[in-house]
Amino acid sequence: MKAVLDEALKRGAEATLISSESRRTEVSFDFNRLKNVEDTESFGLSLQVIKDGKLGMANSTRAGGEEELLEKALSVAEFGSAVSYEFPAPEPHANPRMFYREVTQFQLDDMISLGEELVEFIKTLDPAINGSAGVSRNVIRKTIANTRGLLASWEKTSFFVSAGFQFVEGQNLLQSWDWDASCSVRYDLGRMKAKIKEDFELGRKNVHVEPGVYDVLFTPMGFASIIHPILACLDGRAVMRGISPFKDRIGEEIFAPSFSLIEDGTLDDGLGSQLYDDQGVACRRTPLIDRGVLREYLVDLESARRLGRKPIGTGTASGSRPNNLLVIPGEKPWEDLLRGMKRGIVIDQTMGAWAGNPYTGTVTGNISLGFLVIDGEKVGRVKDCMFSLNVFSHLKSNLLALSRESKNTGQAILPYCLVGGVSIATRTS
Amino acid sequence: MKEDMRDLMGRALRRSTAEYCEVRIEETEETSVRFRGKDIELVAENVSVGGNVRALYKGGWGFVSFNRLDDLDRKVDEACAQARILGEKLNKEIRLYPVDPVVDRVAGNFKREAFAVPLKEKIKLLEGYNALILGSPEITSSSVYYFDRHTHLHFANSEGTYIYQEKMDVGGALTAIATKDKLTTQESARFGSNQDYEVAVGLEDEVRDAAKAAREMLHAPVVEAGEYTVILDPDMAGLFVHEAFGHLSEADSLDEDERMKELLKIGTRYGSDELDIYDSGVEGPNRGESRYDDEGVPMQKTYLIKGGVVVGHLHSRESAAKMNERPTGNARAINYRFPPIVRMRTTCIAPGKATFDEMLKGISLGVYVRGGYGGQTNGEMFTFAASRAYMIRNGSIAEMVRDVNLTGNVFTTLRNIDMIGNDFQFKNGPGGCGKGGQSPLPVAQGSPHIRIQKVVIGGEKK
Repeated sequence: MKAVLDEALKRGAEATLISSESRRTEVSFDFNRLKNVEDTESFGLSLQVIKDGKLGMANSTRAGGEEELLEKALSVAEFGSAVSYEFPAPEPHANPRMFYREVTQFQLDDMISLGEELVEFIKTLDPAINGSAGVSRNVIRKTIANTRGLLASWEKTSFFVSAGFQFVEGQNLLQSWDWDASCSVRYDLGRMKAKIKEDFELGRKNVHVEPGVYDVLFTPMGFASIIHPILACLDGRAVMRGISPFKDRIGEEIFAPSFSLIEDGTLDDGLGSQLYDDQGVACRRTPLIDRGVLREYLVDLESARRLGRKPIGTGTASGSRPNNLLVIPGEKPWEDLLRGMKRGIVIDQTMGAWAGNPYTGTVTGNISLGFLVIDGEKVGRVKDCMFSLNVFSHLKSNLLALSRESKNTGQAILPYCLVGGVSIATRTS
Repeated sequence: MKEDMRDLMGRALRRSTAEYCEVRIEETEETSVRFRGKDIELVAENVSVGGNVRALYKGGWGFVSFNRLDDLDRKVDEACAQARILGEKLNKEIRLYPVDPVVDRVAGNFKREAFAVPLKEKIKLLEGYNALILGSPEITSSSVYYFDRHTHLHFANSEGTYIYQEKMDVGGALTAIATKDKLTTQESARFGSNQDYEVAVGLEDEVRDAAKAAREMLHAPVVEAGEYTVILDPDMAGLFVHEAFGHLSEADSLDEDERMKELLKIGTRYGSDELDIYDSGVEGPNRGESRYDDEGVPMQKTYLIKGGVVVGHLHSRESAAKMNERPTGNARAINYRFPPIVRMRTTCIAPGKATFDEMLKGISLGVYVRGGYGGQTNGEMFTFAASRAYMIRNGSIAEMVRDVNLTGNVFTTLRNIDMIGNDFQFKNGPGGCGKGGQSPLPVAQGSPHIRIQKVVIGGEKK
């Protein structure tokens, strides 16, 4: 790495070089049986150069391709983005625990046994069910170095267990799945089985729901599908360009006081944790929304400088990317929130909620897996209908409660979320 | 050089201890450029070199992918060893539908090579579009994105097939963004091709139209939720058929599920006599089409529905053998990091007879949808988001509305298509299809305008 950085300096450029190597092994089951084993070895180099105030980028998976990479990055820098920052000098970083030897030592046979246990359980639900499962282990080694003297390396593991099913009855298709993901070998098969069993049993009973306005309890998976407008509008580049409605609103209460959103790249066992972001800024914990008040944007070096903010370790070569996002949980168990619903809907899985224009805050999606709730009990599956809410106004004025339990849904750790006034559209017959 | 690769792959494959083994080696060079607002945000050159080995033994698949090409023999050994571990457990016979071994070299024969156009020329073109967008009234920002890729793909298997294919992919989106009183709206002109850089050139009228639409959307009301008669333009109708029936026809989700097979059984009626749906790898040129799929099977045109009745499915060699149908050239992988699975190519509704005016007649209250941001299906239900939509009132196009998301049940919605237009068009955009973690895979769509009764549109109910 040093040779490329030295050569960049010689050619009048500042540079940041990132190398990553990973190995991922996955076993997958489909149609109730073991299907395949996949083993992926990846190698990649990513180079950013700043020459004459302009940024050039090049990426390569070619082993030994450093010289070629430098030539490409320098050649595109001529046309690149004008930047107002320099790559940062080394700064202290947190040391989150991200590497767990138990993941690297988890044997292929044991991965197969885990998947078999899940699929065998799903098969007991009905002879015609199509059960699937996946177990994967992953280890990644990342190194970042720059021409200001930064050189840091870290290893991270991750372990993933998933299970789900598809069940066809006439023209009814019922699908459900659940998963656990962690940097360590941490999963709860009991919870996964219970969820799958409940979804299978309740999901076979379709109930009609009238169009109208309902209280909705979003599960952590459901909640994950509606928060993307908040992230899009927190993005420093969107704020910088004036298209985010959060522009010039730092310090303003824009959500309910019970809603706090934290970015934290330093979490122990956090799937998105790392020592430095892709621009060489040390990761840290930063409240973005604190008790409803907008405190910070997701910035990279350029947007931070232009907005007069400090970098928070969420930079990439061309924008921002959160590490781990957390919504601070509430106090009540989620089952109490359910029991307190007079008439409402639980939304667990959605389709198409990601589509559309995020800057309006409006989220509309199909309820792929959801249940009608009457007097605190789930009574059957709602189908062929769409939910619609505006996450900006609903999480300000209609946020009824957050549960005390949270789930890691990928790069966000989210509780259950009870929201009032959600519009439900459905067929008339 | 190409012959060396064939020898290298052939030598490695001779080590196979599996019933079937294949090797894929790929090299892609990519350029991407993005403007956001007045600034150029990204100029990058990427090189991706890698490969994979897939092996089958007694019903178990082993798959390894890698970036270092210097030890192909070991990769073949690993994939075979994995397949054997699984095969010993499963002890199941899985046949691949027999296809004749092929040795072929498919040169690109592109019209204008995007990868040969100097970066300076591409940036100048995009700067022009960006200036046009930012110079439009009420437009506050922009997002102008362009990419091109040039791929050399080598495929060989233990049956004697060796195929070299040169591929190109170019695409982009030119987006106008309007903001007023905390409301932001946007609309894009999109392009894509697997043959010709010229699709990126001369889009000024489309850019002006997108800027105008983004501006108008600022003043458009949110659509009222409800059930409507809708007319989909060819762009949205193509997205609809991809989501609503294309995915359901992918046989890797049918071949071991008796109930799904029954649902998609040949001869089952799902539409009117006028409804023909097909998926093709030879219509083009369109994104996603090529001479061979990623199992070395020649691509072809495959009818899924003819006269409203199911007549075919989309297959890999494995699903074709399981269902005793012929492979269709639909086994595709997004790149060397993934095994091929059953995917669409260009999915189409064939033209009918209706004119647009005939479709409008008789609609007292409906919605006309032009273009889409994207869609999704879970097999039974589908959803998609419109990029532009207008109310239809008393047989005429009326005011623009925004935030239009449509949903429906696949089976009932196909039956509810009551008119098919005579104005068929292909649509190639910059995006693609997602399945099994492989996204975005280049695909295209084709359709005329279609009219559908009783489509649910989400949103606020007034």
